[in-house]
Amino acid sequence: MIDLTSTVVDILSATVVTVQDMADVAAPAAQEATSAAAAPKEEVRELGGDFWMPPAASTLAPATDFAFQVITWLSYVFFFGITIALVYLTVKFRQKGTDVNYDAGAPVHSTPLEVGWTVIPLLLVIAIFFMGFKGFLDLSTPPKDAYEINVTAAQWSWSFKYPNGATSNDLVVPAGQPVKLVMRSSDVLHSLYIPDFRVKKDVVPGRYSYLWFQADEPTGFVPEDRSARTAIGHHLFCTEYCGKDHSNMNRKVFVLDETEFKEWETTQARWLDEVPDEDLYMVAGPKLFLRCSNCHSIDGTAGTGPSWGDQTSGSLAGLGTLWERVTEGTSPIDGGTRDNGGKKLADYIGPGKLYETPEDYIRESIYNPGALLISGYGPNMPHFRGQLSDRAVDAIIGMIKNIDQFDPKGRYVGDVPN
Amino acid sequence: MTTLEATSPNASNAPDPPVDNYLTYTRGVLSWVFTLDHKRIGLMYLVAVLGSFLVGGIFALLVRTELLTPGATIPGVDADVYNQFFTLHGAIMVFLVIIPSIPGALGNFVLPIMLGAKDVAFPRLNLGSFYLWIIGAILAVLSLVYGGFDTGWTFYTPYSTTTSTGGVIPVVTGVFILGFSSIFTGLNFVVTIHKLRPPGMTWFRMPLLLWALYATALIQVLATPVLGITLLMLIVERVFQIGLFDPAMGGDPVLFQHFFWFYSHPAVYIMILPAMGIISEIISVHAHRHIFGYRFIAFSSVAIAIFSFLVWGHHMFTSGQSPLMNVVFSLITFSVAIPSAIKVFNWMATLYRGSISINTPMLYGLGFIFLFTIGGLTGLHLGTLNTDIHLHDTYFVVAHFHYVMMGSALIAMIGGLHHWWPKMVGKMYDEKWGIIGFTLVFIGFNVTFFTQFMLGSHGMPRRYYNYEPEFQIYHVISTIGSYIMAAGFFWTLFYLVQSLFSGAKAPANPWGGRSLEWQCTSPPPHDNFKTTPSVGDCYDFSVVEWDEEEGGYVINRSKVEESSPDH
Repeated sequence: MIDLTSTVVDILSATVVTVQDMADVAAPAAQEATSAAAAPKEEVRELGGDFWMPPAASTLAPATDFAFQVITWLSYVFFFGITIALVYLTVKFRQKGTDVNYDAGAPVHSTPLEVGWTVIPLLLVIAIFFMGFKGFLDLSTPPKDAYEINVTAAQWSWSFKYPNGATSNDLVVPAGQPVKLVMRSSDVLHSLYIPDFRVKKDVVPGRYSYLWFQADEPTGFVPEDRSARTAIGHHLFCTEYCGKDHSNMNRKVFVLDETEFKEWETTQARWLDEVPDEDLYMVAGPKLFLRCSNCHSIDGTAGTGPSWGDQTSGSLAGLGTLWERVTEGTSPIDGGTRDNGGKKLADYIGPGKLYETPEDYIRESIYNPGALLISGYGPNMPHFRGQLSDRAVDAIIGMIKNIDQFDPKGRYVGDVPN
Repeated sequence: MTTLEATSPNASNAPDPPVDNYLTYTRGVLSWVFTLDHKRIGLMYLVAVLGSFLVGGIFALLVRTELLTPGATIPGVDADVYNQFFTLHGAIMVFLVIIPSIPGALGNFVLPIMLGAKDVAFPRLNLGSFYLWIIGAILAVLSLVYGGFDTGWTFYTPYSTTTSTGGVIPVVTGVFILGFSSIFTGLNFVVTIHKLRPPGMTWFRMPLLLWALYATALIQVLATPVLGITLLMLIVERVFQIGLFDPAMGGDPVLFQHFFWFYSHPAVYIMILPAMGIISEIISVHAHRHIFGYRFIAFSSVAIAIFSFLVWGHHMFTSGQSPLMNVVFSLITFSVAIPSAIKVFNWMATLYRGSISINTPMLYGLGFIFLFTIGGLTGLHLGTLNTDIHLHDTYFVVAHFHYVMMGSALIAMIGGLHHWWPKMVGKMYDEKWGIIGFTLVFIGFNVTFFTQFMLGSHGMPRRYYNYEPEFQIYHVISTIGSYIMAAGFFWTLFYLVQSLFSGAKAPANPWGGRSLEWQCTSPPPHDNFKTTPSVGDCYDFSVVEWDEEEGGYVINRSKVEESSPDH
């Protein structure tokens, strides 16, 4: 085993930046104690910016804002001109009574006027076009020395992968340096949009698309496993409709100054390796679960995918945790590329069967999710080949096995007496 | 005031007016089901379209109510259900309401009469087109039985070919059939205008609504087949797993967008061009003033129809099409602004030295100019490349196209409905109630949609069930606006229906119009005209005079002789 893990930890999360955090990693129970004590604080970002625009936080935003202001002011002139004229004419020339005061001398045509209100708007829109054209050339031409981040969009999460192998759920970028996103989608159309930067680009399955920006002001940083909304950072939205959780496919962009960014990048690449083996699922599990939590719950709530925890209701009621269902093989199979119809998991798991062990089945469900589908769930899960290392899969399997030791938000709470 | 001669065959002093009108010409349900009368078909379209508008409107209210708070608001409405709400709202409003509304309902009713014809060129095709509409609508309803659909009205692939909702194929088939309904209507209008003009009705004597409907019909005939082919390809991909658009099977999803917008951008002009035609009629008739710049307005309709085919790529500036194409499409897009601006300035000039009646249709006409100005100007923000990158797929776009499609196209349709209501049903609605209805709709509309410009420019993406809490204030204002607007529309429905039962009898010419439809009785007889009508200058109001006895306006024949019909 070469140092695979440091380059392959493709999932997200985890941000072990401070000494305090490192201490928490070493003592999960202590972390639980502190987080339970501090009630999560909801911070709502202010709308910010001016009447029309959010704060401008990238180097190209001012050009876009300038164009917007020019067009808007031009619109004010035409809008108020037309409205005032409309009201004035209507009031002045209103008809009194039923008699038509037909004005035979009123002009019905004027070539100079027609030419005038054809040519003047034409010149104005040509000027506007060139303003937008110039801004667009800058927006679509990434500088050669840009820092490249690979982006994978999937229903309904973003994965950012950095040149040193680090991965994250939030987009973390260095300040004062052009950043180029090389984006691909593993399922349907998505679109990456950062309003404060005035950039947007569709993420199209089957092809790569680029987007670049440069942000000069550091924003501060909040780790990904935050339990409450934070006002720090820029919004990152998916703006191409992609199904059920389209509106939850949003993350934060954090801009760090150069040294902080280097430090973050390095730590982020190594965190999984640095987790002691004996704490693997307790520490790494919750961090990896952040990516899974859009579709899988822990408390038995039905999501887009089956819950990892106890099913208390629904079609699988009484079947126990995901691990129990896998080890006992009770779940009915209803679709998938290996479906033989009307079978149960038990028909596939066991010595000599398709999967020797339950672990093999979970592993395949992560790398090739369409193989067997549990009854009631569609083929919605993207695959994580090349994104999750063996160690990460081990951590997830460990977490699923010991799901009772985690609270509904995926935090490790240790053995709780029944 | 010497010799006043009512041209209306409906003698005003007769105690019992002749019962021969198109509503009473034949009786019984079957006489409606198998009618070939363009007026009855228009009326059936009207009822069908307004019924769909009610359904689409209810979905809009559900969407707005759900957006009162971030995340779940209405119990039982989760993200999946919400996605179906906005999809249904969009699909119903576009395909069942706005596209057929003006040509199908009002156009069918007034086009032959305005032209001086007895009917459209192909009455059977006309009825066929209505029944295709019905079949399309039924399939759309069936899609709900099969599990609904959550693709957005744009049916973007590969989501639409992979989503597990089962209603996609029924609704896509329905839209495919609705396309043929639209093509048949367009075909009919083109032939009617070419072949059925009576003596004297030259191209440049046609009311501007007919120019607009003609330009619209050209788009319907030329663009709609592309939508049909595209939807057929989508069905083929979904059913037979043949890779056309899904990259997982070797297809290209951006190709679908090209195909889709190649129809759906011109479709925007299928909606707005007839609306502009209605406004040309409303403004000139209620200002009692010859339309200003007739030829510029007429040719600008044709210009818009031509340009409409060359700008589809402006929906795709962020899609990954080549930057060169973005630049070309942006440039051509601005060209559409010019004929639109020409129309607005000409309408304004028509008010100058007019004799303006401030009544419900005219208020809708003036409201249209106000709303269309906002819709048009914000189009500049979206046609400009770098600002569109920021605004694309945000609420700014939602606000913009509602100002154009609803604030303009639908408001013009409602204005036209009031304008021709006395003609269609033979009853007058209550003017005061009409003004109250307009005020509610107008205020509600602006409160609903102007706030969405600010939402969008601040970065709120469209089609979002859940949203960042800082956007909530604008969403709440917008939702309140939508309730005001809904109250206005229900109020309008109420007094229009009420007028059927207790409205005053409508004179042949209640507004002082000069085009031919005001010269036959209200409601018109089955054959529209007893004799081939004499065609004058349809915007020469000098010959229109108020007749106390008739309770409406009449045309002074002696003045017609002396006035010159030149433009």
